[in-house]
Amino acid sequence: MKFFRKIRTGLATVAIVTIGANAALADFPERTIEIIHPWGPGKAMAVSQLIAQAMGDELGVDMPVISTPGAAGTKAQITAMARPADGYTIFDGYVAPLVLQPVLGNADWNYSDFKPLQAAVSNAFSIGGRIGETRWSNFEEMMAYGQAHPGKLRYSSGSRNNLPHMVIAKALQSYNVVAQNIPYSQDGNAIKDLKSGVLDFAFVNVGNYIQDKSAFNILLVLSELDGAKASYDGAPNIIDLSVDLGLSGLAPMGWTWWIVNADTPDDVADKLRDAMAAAMARPDVRAAIEAVGFVPLDWNHSEYNDIVGPVAAQLGAMGNALKWEVEELGKLN
Amino acid sequence: MLLESLTAGFDLFFTPLAIGLTFIGILIGLLVGALPGLGPLMGIILLLPVAISLPPIAAMGFLIAIFVGGSCGGSISAILLRIPGTPLAAATLFDGYPMAQNGRASDAIGIAITSSAIGGLIGGIVLIIGSPILARFASGFAPPEYAMLAITGLFAIAIISGGSLFKGLTSGCLGLLLATIGTDEFSTGYRFTFDSYHMLNGFHIVAVVVGLFAVSEMALQIMGRDLLKIPDVKVARPGFRSIFLTLRHWKNLLRSSSIGVFFGALPGAGGVISSFTSYAIAKAWSKPEEKYGEGAEGGVVSVESANNATVGGTLVPTLALGIPGDASSAMLLGALLILGFIPGPILFEQQPEIVSGLFMVYMASNVFLLIAGLLVTPLFVYVLRIPKFYLIPIVLLLCSIGTFALQASVFDLMVMLGFGLVGILFRATNYPLSPIVIGLILGPVLENNLRRALLISQDGYWIFVERPVSAVLVTINIALVIGGIWYALQKMHIKRTGNDSGA
Repeated sequence: MKFFRKIRTGLATVAIVTIGANAALADFPERTIEIIHPWGPGKAMAVSQLIAQAMGDELGVDMPVISTPGAAGTKAQITAMARPADGYTIFDGYVAPLVLQPVLGNADWNYSDFKPLQAAVSNAFSIGGRIGETRWSNFEEMMAYGQAHPGKLRYSSGSRNNLPHMVIAKALQSYNVVAQNIPYSQDGNAIKDLKSGVLDFAFVNVGNYIQDKSAFNILLVLSELDGAKASYDGAPNIIDLSVDLGLSGLAPMGWTWWIVNADTPDDVADKLRDAMAAAMARPDVRAAIEAVGFVPLDWNHSEYNDIVGPVAAQLGAMGNALKWEVEELGKLN
Repeated sequence: MLLESLTAGFDLFFTPLAIGLTFIGILIGLLVGALPGLGPLMGIILLLPVAISLPPIAAMGFLIAIFVGGSCGGSISAILLRIPGTPLAAATLFDGYPMAQNGRASDAIGIAITSSAIGGLIGGIVLIIGSPILARFASGFAPPEYAMLAITGLFAIAIISGGSLFKGLTSGCLGLLLATIGTDEFSTGYRFTFDSYHMLNGFHIVAVVVGLFAVSEMALQIMGRDLLKIPDVKVARPGFRSIFLTLRHWKNLLRSSSIGVFFGALPGAGGVISSFTSYAIAKAWSKPEEKYGEGAEGGVVSVESANNATVGGTLVPTLALGIPGDASSAMLLGALLILGFIPGPILFEQQPEIVSGLFMVYMASNVFLLIAGLLVTPLFVYVLRIPKFYLIPIVLLLCSIGTFALQASVFDLMVMLGFGLVGILFRATNYPLSPIVIGLILGPVLENNLRRALLISQDGYWIFVERPVSAVLVTINIALVIGGIWYALQKMHIKRTGNDSGA
């Protein structure tokens, strides 16, 4: 009798736990879901807030975006990883912390260590000069100037060791041009200094470009995608100039893929995925994202490895353009 | 042309929704500004998702009003509790709090609100008339100029240090050292992070300010013997008297507002630098009988007019160039883009009515700030009537909520409490707290721009004299050093002469 009582108690316990767990899942989300954003306040954060707001509408809860800048986005990623795997924390997985920093040896995770929700947005880059420049009028002339004046060109990629820095350094390496990278904590100040002639060229994203088209001479669009070229009104891209960056698709662009901790229950992740897919499908959300100069992405979680995998592989195989830049500058000094 | 577009902007703004939301934005701004830890940036971030579903001018009116109200609201807690609600108001407490202690809390808040509104309106006039010109001028400021300007700003420490220059400089150095914590922008290496990811971006300035000022102040209050006593404070409605009191300092008002607009127009400079600089200049130019630091009206006027004029100045590069002046205007820029408007020269050329509408909401925000601020001042002053037994835990709770909300981080709370201990230690030994804030804010501006300028330079340090504006700033800095030494020598000479004649 004792044995049966134990069995009965055990079954009851299992039943209660199971029912409880199912009830918990059925109720998800019960409270605020936080999105950990790796950059400071600005356009990228506003875009994430847009998506979060639409997703929150679907799920019926608030979804605040928490700006946690620091160490090229790795602070935010570590912060998100340290939270419980319950679906109440989403990481705004920009390429820099998710893929690039591990490639550079600054982080010990891999993109496959996370559970993807859906691709969010991308942002194409270009190398831009200013209107009124008398020393060159196109990228190849600038490269010829750079070859004749090693170490004299000054450029900015925003912060250092980020994706634009890596891609620009690779482009310069392919022309054997050594230039001095000047880091800026605010991209806007780099653009200001480009316009005033302090810098010779800088990375210009679509948002910067559309705000003051007449001030920029877009020298090279750092993508082979037609959509990116069109965003810069047909400026020459890496295909036109036969610049071999060894990068394709999303690899030379900024993008974010919203992810959660790998141990997040599948039911919870699925709810989040459905909500995000519905949010990203809303025409008003897409229009607002495009207005800021970003491109909404439509890849779902099942395509994560197919899309992000090659990016990680290409960036990993891209070589040591950043190291090359430092070494060549060191030789000149 | 200007008049036509202003009229068009007038039409866009004069809708019940836009006017109503601008007024509500001011009230929200005053509240988030007054609560320690929160501030205009947090207010804008929290309400941006709400705003972008509204008609454009109403939405921007709402957000800009939060910016304006939030930039002023910090003065209320600084005056009443000696706790700056935001770092912007860290210099307001020098004279605002002594005024409140002298029974002039309503006057102090009234002057703070009136100065903020007038400073904001002056900023608005510059915004309307001189946006493109000022934006072009600000564009000429590059790393060499920022580095020299940061050095000029550090001189403010000498002026606000009060009794002991040594103690002021020591506090300032602590601030500069704290500013080195985090990821080095140039080498991307980690400095003094002790392998903690929490430290990768250094300490959050708000957590530091709340700890230094609020936690230490509450600790001091706890040590008092009047915890249960209901303070006998007369609550007077400031009304038009505040406007009169403020306008008596019209020279200070104009000078400080101009300083505010100037710093606002420089992307990355910010309201904290402008408020400390304008306070230092006002104090340096004041007459001895004004007694700065002991409840001088001019002290409140200088800080509050400067930090709200900075808002107008900040909108200059944001609207005219599409380059945000600070984090709050970066969010406003994002909101404008989401609403379908592209800030920059194109907006001025193709949609002048929107630009005018934005000018209108900014001007109206400042007018509403004056009205709403003066109306609600007595409510705020009632805080002084709450016995400390209740007030202290409420303030500490609000500080904790505000600081946690910055990054949803418990570490920030620990930073707050840690700097609370530092604040207690500094107060106990009569070391000033404000130079820490100045050092913490100017440290990265100086270090990064100095290093950036040297990387840009093809001739080493000559870059600082080859560029005309930088050369002028170098000259000013040298003159300030020589002037300071001359002043100190003169003072020593007078003291010695006095001693000799006394003997």
